[in-house]
Amino acid sequence: MAVDKQSEQPPAMIRNYWPRFKRYAVSLTILMQVVATLAIGLALIVAGVAIPTTQFWITLIAIFATCAGLNVILVTQLTTPLKDLTSALTHVSDEPNNITPPNPNARHFERDGFKPLLQLIYELASDKSELSEVEEEEKAELPTAALATAVNTTATGFVIMNAQKEISFANSKAPVHTTPEGKKVIDLVFDDDITLDDWLKDCEENAVHSDHAWLRVADKITGEEDRKIYDISASYQKGSEAEVVITLFERTNDYQPEDDDLDFIAFAAHELRGPITVIRGYLDVLSDELGSKLEDDQEELLNRLIVSANRLSSYVNNILNASRYDRRHLKVRLREDSIADIYDIINDDMQLRASSQNRMLSVEIPNNLPTVAADRGSIGEVLSNLIDNAIKYSNEGGLVNVTAAADGDFVKVSVTDHGIGMPSGVVSNLFHKFYRSHRSRETVAGTGIGLYICKAIVESHGGKIGVRSAEGEGSTFEFTLPAYSTVADKLIADKGSNESLIEHDESGWIKNHAMYRG
Amino acid sequence: MAIKTVLCIEDDRFIGEMYVRSLKKAGYDVDWMVDGNDGLVAARNKHYDLILLDIMLPERRGSEILAALRGGKEDMIPDTRVIVMTNFDQDDESRAAMQHNADGYLIKAEITPKKLLSIIEKLNAPAS
Repeated sequence: MAVDKQSEQPPAMIRNYWPRFKRYAVSLTILMQVVATLAIGLALIVAGVAIPTTQFWITLIAIFATCAGLNVILVTQLTTPLKDLTSALTHVSDEPNNITPPNPNARHFERDGFKPLLQLIYELASDKSELSEVEEEEKAELPTAALATAVNTTATGFVIMNAQKEISFANSKAPVHTTPEGKKVIDLVFDDDITLDDWLKDCEENAVHSDHAWLRVADKITGEEDRKIYDISASYQKGSEAEVVITLFERTNDYQPEDDDLDFIAFAAHELRGPITVIRGYLDVLSDELGSKLEDDQEELLNRLIVSANRLSSYVNNILNASRYDRRHLKVRLREDSIADIYDIINDDMQLRASSQNRMLSVEIPNNLPTVAADRGSIGEVLSNLIDNAIKYSNEGGLVNVTAAADGDFVKVSVTDHGIGMPSGVVSNLFHKFYRSHRSRETVAGTGIGLYICKAIVESHGGKIGVRSAEGEGSTFEFTLPAYSTVADKLIADKGSNESLIEHDESGWIKNHAMYRG
Repeated sequence: MAIKTVLCIEDDRFIGEMYVRSLKKAGYDVDWMVDGNDGLVAARNKHYDLILLDIMLPERRGSEILAALRGGKEDMIPDTRVIVMTNFDQDDESRAAMQHNADGYLIKAEITPKKLLSIIEKLNAPAS
């Protein structure tokens, strides 16, 4: 029977090396001493210097013993560093042993400079053990079948993308659908500024490894059936077979009730309009019929009522618009119109708002501007929101300027106040929902929803909105609208409706289209 | 043909009275109905130059009234203007359907009696 010889041999152990070497070194020293002593003895006899008497042999043996003893001590001393090194190595080798490892902090090691050598060994050893742990993790054997079962039964969604950004795997809980072309697409509606695509693009350009997390991302827009809401974690590893791994924790039950509140807000806003209609209507009737009979301050009081009722009405519109926009239901109907005509509708209301709060409102809109493609009601709301803000954030007696000018293929409208202004850090957040600037929280009332809806409306027209501000000097809000002549063809092709501005994407969601954006 | 007779179909008493009062003061003949069934019957039985139509009505919604009057093959009120007046934000399809059969579609909260009168005058202008 053939036996594998290698398997019979005990494996070479580090701990065995030192005793074996020591035996060898000591034996060799003694053997050398024997040879040397014998050689000297014989040489003395042959030369006739010594007579081989018993006394001579005893002397020779005594010399041999003394020299051998001294040499063994010498060898032991000289090999001490070797002994320490091997016992240090044995200690870090993970072999079972009862060796006391040399202590690098012992005084004699410090004195003779051996300490750094020992330290190096221990450091290298600790690095190596960390390394080997990592390797073990990476190489941990995958119980493939169990893992597959786990991935497909867990409530957590998994999506894996390959280096071509194609979905190579998605489990049943992941919100992924397959297009008619056979491409897998992940269904997520990002409200954040950074979408999954943005992040992937950024990773592609700037990262080798990266992680990102999103909270509260839905797979469908508000109001659709079977809507699910996730917290999402994604990791990116450049060049890996699974370059992107997306994990989706479904938290619909936690988030859904709050979203239902949004439905409630939309509903409540409708309810609010009933009493507002009556208040505004009767104020209108009263101011007409009482006009001449009122004393000066009474007229002012009535104006304040009218201004407040008008404001209330605009805020309700803002809330409804924001709710509609969040559901992707905000639509604009574009027609040929002029900024001057649009402003004309809200002029009385705006002048009254300004004068009842002791602000000057100066409006300079040239008559010869190109016409724009606009939804009259919506742009009226944008102007009214911007002017209302300018009034709020300017000082008593302050001036608010509204101007308009042609700007390439666009018409640019600016609303400037000379009020408290904003630091630059605040400006970038202004157009977010419910964002209000640092100081305004305490000093000025409002929902923080106005600029959010202004941005939504302007962008759905194909325009842009922005702000320039200096702290203590005031702010200028500007928005652009496409000149009618530049978009007339498209609008006429759509029979005057705004359908060309609205795009249905693959999943059937309606989103604002960037067709006219620069 | 100048607008002279007006039918107001509005279930909110305050709002109905407010519009009716201003319209009468401005010299219009106004009938006011508070539920959808009565409104439809009135519109069928008598000619009006203008109908102000609410949407959220008891018994029969404004959209049904409009469909009954103008949705069939024959327009039952060819010489009548219809202004839909609502505080209810409809979804786009229903809104578009109503706008197709109406001369105006207004949010009541935005329309004070004075504005309503000026809108009716504008409707008058091209016809007269």
